[in-house]
Order: sequence, then structure tokens, then C-alpha cells
Amino acid sequence: MEQASPDPEKLLQPATLEPLGHPEAELESVVGEEAEGARDDGSGDGKMTENNFWLKKIEISVSEAEKRTGRNAMNMQETYTAYLIETRSVEHTDGQSVLTDSLWRRYSEFELLRNYLLVYYPHIVVPPLPEKRAEFVWHKLSADNMDPDFVERRRIGLENFLLRLASHPVLCRDRIFYLFLTQEGNWKETVNETGFQLKADSRLKALNATFRVKNPDKRFTELKHYSDELQSVISHLLRVRARVADRLYGVYKVHGNYGRVFSEWSAIEKEMGDGLQSAGHHMDVYASSIDDILEDEEHYADQLKEYLFYAEALRAVCRKHELMQYDLEMAAQDLASKKQQCEELATGTVRTFSLKGMTTKLFGQETPEQREARIKVLEEQINEGEQQLKSKNLEGREFVKNAWADIERFKEQKNRDLKEALISYAVMQISMCKKGIQVWTNAKECFSKM
Amino acid sequence: MSGRPPKALPSTGPHSLRDMPHPLAGSSSEEAVGGDSTPSPDLLMARSFGDKDLILPNGGTPAGTASPASSSSLLNRLQLDDDIDGETRDLFVTVDDPKKHVCTMETYVTYRITTKSTRVEFDLPEYSVRRRYQDFDWLRNKLEESQPTHLIPPLPEKFVVKGVVDRFSEEFVETRRKALDKFLKRITDHPVLSFNEHFNVFLTAKDLNMYKKQGMALLTRVGESVKHVTGGYKLRSRPLEFAAIGEYLDTFALKLGTIDRIAQRIIKEEIEYLVELREYGPVYSTWSALEGELAEPLEGVSACIGNCSTALEELTDDMTEDFLPVLREYILYSDSMKSVLKKRDHVQAEYEAKLEAVALRKEERPKVPADVEKCQDRMECFNADLKADMERWQNNKRQDFRQLLMGMADKNIQYYEKCLMAWESIIPLLQEKQEAK
Repeated sequence: MEQASPDPEKLLQPATLEPLGHPEAELESVVGEEAEGARDDGSGDGKMTENNFWLKKIEISVSEAEKRTGRNAMNMQETYTAYLIETRSVEHTDGQSVLTDSLWRRYSEFELLRNYLLVYYPHIVVPPLPEKRAEFVWHKLSADNMDPDFVERRRIGLENFLLRLASHPVLCRDRIFYLFLTQEGNWKETVNETGFQLKADSRLKALNATFRVKNPDKRFTELKHYSDELQSVISHLLRVRARVADRLYGVYKVHGNYGRVFSEWSAIEKEMGDGLQSAGHHMDVYASSIDDILEDEEHYADQLKEYLFYAEALRAVCRKHELMQYDLEMAAQDLASKKQQCEELATGTVRTFSLKGMTTKLFGQETPEQREARIKVLEEQINEGEQQLKSKNLEGREFVKNAWADIERFKEQKNRDLKEALISYAVMQISMCKKGIQVWTNAKECFSKM
Repeated sequence: MSGRPPKALPSTGPHSLRDMPHPLAGSSSEEAVGGDSTPSPDLLMARSFGDKDLILPNGGTPAGTASPASSSSLLNRLQLDDDIDGETRDLFVTVDDPKKHVCTMETYVTYRITTKSTRVEFDLPEYSVRRRYQDFDWLRNKLEESQPTHLIPPLPEKFVVKGVVDRFSEEFVETRRKALDKFLKRITDHPVLSFNEHFNVFLTAKDLNMYKKQGMALLTRVGESVKHVTGGYKLRSRPLEFAAIGEYLDTFALKLGTIDRIAQRIIKEEIEYLVELREYGPVYSTWSALEGELAEPLEGVSACIGNCSTALEELTDDMTEDFLPVLREYILYSDSMKSVLKKRDHVQAEYEAKLEAVALRKEERPKVPADVEKCQDRMECFNADLKADMERWQNNKRQDFRQLLMGMADKNIQYYEKCLMAWESIIPLLQEKQEAK
């Protein structure tokens, strides 16, 4: 009998519900719960929902940084910086906090933690780490990893990373994260024992390799495009901002020369001398004020950098989805071809080319028993394939639901955070303008007394 | 300038003012400049304090006197100074309305010089003429020639050295106009220079070129006598006060040079800062196009940075047009002052040499020969003029720099105020609760 070959396309719609009864319903409710958790306010102060009782009212801080020397995997001497992580639990009644855990970690351990989270939570936009090497520096800033200013900013960045994890409704529950904060020794081994490296999809690393997806989810395609654009625009912004900082530094510092020359000039003047001298002092004040101003601006740059790296994390989620979709399509395609083969064997028509078919033609027919055997194998494979496809579809829909919930959470967080960053940037500029007005008004008064 | 006699002033005859020697100017009479046949006001009709002094016997040096105004008129000058600083101004000169003239041979700019005066030296109460830079240059040379004992204000630079500056650009012409205006005002304020005949002609003559030609042909006796062909007289030592002035001017010019370099450097850095800002602002716009809720805040920041960029451009333009030229002017001023000091040295040297020669001759004559006396007179007048001018110059310098530096501070304050306003106005926009798209 003729059987219409199953349309591979139909099997791929992640949104369409498979008419398969209860199991989804169960999963659905669990997913729903997760999604609900995700919609809770994920602010950075560590306050949690009921679900996360063991992390309730926890304060995490990266309080110190220390230079250490040790031996690395190749038994070579190396210098690195270790960071002290302190966890405090806040008592209900009096708001006092008690130190519960305190341990030292280095940057590579933070990386390990994050890589682990990336594998086990592919649908989550995992908070990024502060940059490994100083980038977007303007000339006064050091690009040296050991530079105390860089270390200080990194300390703050790492603390921020942990706070982001702690305030994430899903990630905060992770055991490895918990152990990261509480178990100093052996933690690395514990992580490696999870075998997450094996689970990691190496294809995720090949960022630009294209996998032709026939039926892409438009939302994810748009999101991936957005994350690319966001990365590009923030990079550009950071680069130009660094140049702007450089130039501004130059403008302020040259004014310092006025201080010296006014002083020298005042020495040959009678009535004009005092006014010139005191004005010169204000020029010195002006010139030195730029250091603090630009240091404050680095915080703004760091906030932008966080979202530059967040864009990468967002892209990773889209990529993961793309790969899942691709795998789904491949599996569906494979299933369809097997079904076709089966049908052909059953009906005796050869529509698709197969080596077996050719050899059969050339070297003689196979026996009915042989054919039966083959059909049986194929039918088993088809069954298996259908189960796999079903679970892949399920997986896919689960992924989309969870991912989209986290993406919505992320979007709101991003909008909030960036708005705050822009406001604080404007406040910085206002402060700088007010200082400028103050200094020049003082100088003007001195000039008026000349 | 033909025409109506000034009101209520009786004519004293066919002589024009220019025939009358002006005691303070020390220049002799010259032929009347063409065209002006209006009867001159009565010298005795003192219409201003200045005229009162004309009546003094000492001041009335007959035409053709070789020496410049004698030292006894120094008192008059000081008196004049006080009065000039008060409210009894009687001469106002303005430079404005630059116009470009395109001729077959050349293209040039002229400026309108408007003069308002109640002085008797002017036939009319008001004059309006057009002059070009060449004419100013001529005037300055004439003043240097005819008033060698005085400090002549500087002109803006004749040639544009740096880069490709457009001589006819609005900014350049405006900068020059201001400097030329300042030049004339400084002369106007000077109690001696403002009465100078060449100055008068410059302000009033319809056809200056005619006068120039005539001036070339006539070698004024004053001009001759005043040109010191002193070569070979070496000064033994500068008197203390003039040495001090010399040292002061050296250091002053040095410091001004440094300030000029600093100011230029600041402008350069500000322009480079501006270039980066002009790239920085638009990136926020690009970002805004990607966003939903953040679109307005980001666009707002972009516009804000744009406003700050404009404010910065205005600051750099102002500093270039108003600050730097005045600094340069003073550097030129101190240069010309140093050369006047040197001339003074020559006069002194000549006198000392002649004196020595007489002493060596050991002649019987008890009295000092006339020419040595003249030398002494010349030197003493020069010293007096120079000292008076230095004092005036110091006062003016103080006021000028006070104004200049306060102006610089002001411009910076205005720049920061503009930026402050831009950033403050954006805060409510950033804090606004937006409808999530």
C-alpha cells in the first residue's frame, strides 16, 4: 500500500504539541515552575525565593586579592592572584551577619565554574566573568594583569559575577556553585568528576561554523542577530571611549603648565603678582582633578564590558538552540529515509538508490527471508528513531520554554542595569562640569584681583 | 570733506589746522592735504582741556623746531594723562565693517574707520573713511618716525605664516579687525600720539594715497632731525631704571611666549578631544537603533554628547580668535618697546660721547656748546617720554591682561555650563519609566 512519506518538516515544528498524552503535562508543570522562578526579581542583593532556602539572605563578597606564587600543572613556578571569598548569613532579627565561609580562589577556578555552568545550563544566559586581560585601555591605564588597579577592578568584577549567580533563580541552586563558595580543597576534582567536559558540545566552540537549519525559530535568529550587533556596538563604544579618555586627560594636564608659568610671571609683577600666583594654583587643581574623574569613568566602562560579555553568553544560548534544531532536523531526516527504505522493501519498489538494491539487481535477488530480516531491522531502527525524535522534540520545546523565560529575565535585567549605568554616567559628567565651573570661577576671581 | 564749518566756531583765517604747530606733537607744519578747505576752529577757543594747554607759552614751539617737545611740557602731559583717564574723552575711533574688494591686480580687505571728535584738530565732528592693512602699516611707520621717543602700539602680524590660513575667511578678518581697532584705540588713548598729524590724516583723509605720496616727497625737518644717524656711539651703561625695564621686558616676553605655546597646545588637545567626541556620540545612536526600552535613553545620551561637542567647538574657536591674538600682540609690543629702549640708549650714547669730546678738548669756553646741550635735551626728553609711556603701558597691560584672563576663565565657565545643562536635562529622560516594547 502506498503510504505518503512522512513529511520531515512536520516533525520539526517545536511549537506544535505532539499528541502523545500525559508525560508532557508533567514536564510542563515542572518547566512552568522553573519559568515562574525565573520571573522573580533577580536583584543583586542575594535575596531569594522560598525555593532557595539554603541561600536565603546570604551576603557574598570578594573582599581581598593577594599575590601568590605556586607551582602549576607543569611544576613550573608561577605568580598569580588569589581572591578571598567570604560568605555571610544575615540573621533575621538584628540584621547582623555572621561569617559562615571564607576561602581563596584564583581566576582559573572561576573560569572552571563558569564553563561547568555553561554545559549544564545551556538554556541560561550565564553571567560573564570580568575580562581575562585588560582591553580597551587608554594610555594611562596599565594592561598588566598584575597592576594593582587592574587587580582591584577584577576583584569587583568577580564579586559581581558571584552576586549575579546568587541572584539567578536557577543557577543559585546549583550544587557546584554552592561548593565553590564553601569547599576550598578538592573542589576542582569534584567539578571534573561531573564529567562536564565530555558533555560539552565542541561545536559550540566553533562560533562561526554554519549549520544549515531548514526551519529556524525566527525569535532565536533575531536574538542571535541582536547579540552580534550588541557586541559590535559596545566594542566600538568602548574603543572610542578609551580614546576620548586619553584626549580629555591631555587637555586637563596641559593646563597644569599654566600654574608654573603664572608663578614665574608673578615674580616680575607688582600689582598683578598675587592674582596670577593664586590663579596658577587653581590651574594646578584643575589639572590634577582629571585623575579621579577618569577613575570613576572606568566603572562605567566596566559596566559596559559586562554587557559586552553578556552578549556573548546570549549568543551562546541561541547557538545551542541552533545546534539542537539542526540535530533534530538531521534525526528527522534520517528517520524519514529509513521509513522510505522500509516501504520500498515492503512494496518491492525501488525509489531510492541503495547499494544493496544495486547489488541485488546485479548479483541476483535476495530471498524473501533475507528481505523480511532486513525489514525487521529497519522497523526496529524506525521505532528507536521515533522515540529519539519524540524525546528530542520534547527536549527542544523544554529548551525553548526555559531559554525564553531566562531571556526575558535577562532583557529586563539588562534594561535596568544599563539605564542605571547611563544615569550614573550622566551624574559623573554633571559632577565633572560642576568641578570645572568651580575651578574656573575661582581662577576668574583671582584674575579679577590682578 | 568739503563743506560746512563746525558750528559756532569762528574762522581764524585761511590757515587750516595743519599749518599750526601742535606743541605736544612736535611735528612741524606741512602742506595742507588736498581738499580740506574748511576754516579751522579758533585755537584760542579751548573746547577741551587739551586746548587749554595749547595756550601755554612753553608749549608753543615755533614751526620747524628741531627738538621734540621740551621736558617742561612733561607736566602738561601728566596732567593730560589724569584727565584722559577720567570722563572727558574727546576722541572716539572705531574700526568695523570689513569689506572685500576684488580688483584686476589684487584682492584686499578694507575696514571702515569711524571717528568722532570734538577736538579742534578735526574740522568735522565725525568722519568715516575706509582703510586697508597697508594704510595701518604706513601709519605705524610714520608714527615710529615722528615719535621715536614714544612706544607705538603693535599691529597684528602682516603675513600669515602658519599653514593654509584663508586671508579672507570671516574668522581671520574679524580677528584682524579687532586688533586694528585695538591699535587705533591705543593711539587714541595716548596723550601725545593721538595728536599726531599723520594719525589725524589717517582718520580723516578721503584719499590717503595722495597724502602718502606727498609725505614721501617732503622730508619734514622733524623727520630728519629725529632720525638718529648715531652709528658708532656705544652706550657705556644703561641707567638702572631703564636696565630694569629692559630686564622686565625680556622676562615678560619670555613668559608670554610660554603662555602662547601652552594656549596653543591646549587648543590642539581640545580639538583632538573634539574629534573623538564627534565619533563617540553617534555610537550611542547606533546602539539605540538596536534597542527597545533603552532606545530613548541612548538616543538622549547621543544628543547630549553632541551638544557638548558643539560647546567645545565654540570654546576652541573663541580661544583661537580672542585669546591667542592678544597674547601675540603683547609679544610684538614688548619687542617694539625693546627697540625704543635701544634708541634711547643711542641718544644717551651720543650725548655722553659728545660730552666727553668737549671735556677732552678742554676749551676755554665756559658754556657747553649748543649741540651738546641739544643732545642732553634730546636724551632727557626721550627718558621722560619713555618713562611716562612705560607707566601708561604698565597700567594698560594690567587692565588688558586682567580682561584677557578673566575672559579666558569666562569662556571655560560658559563651556562647562552648557555641558552641565545638557547632562542635567537628560537625567529625567533616563529615569523615566518606559513602556516595555
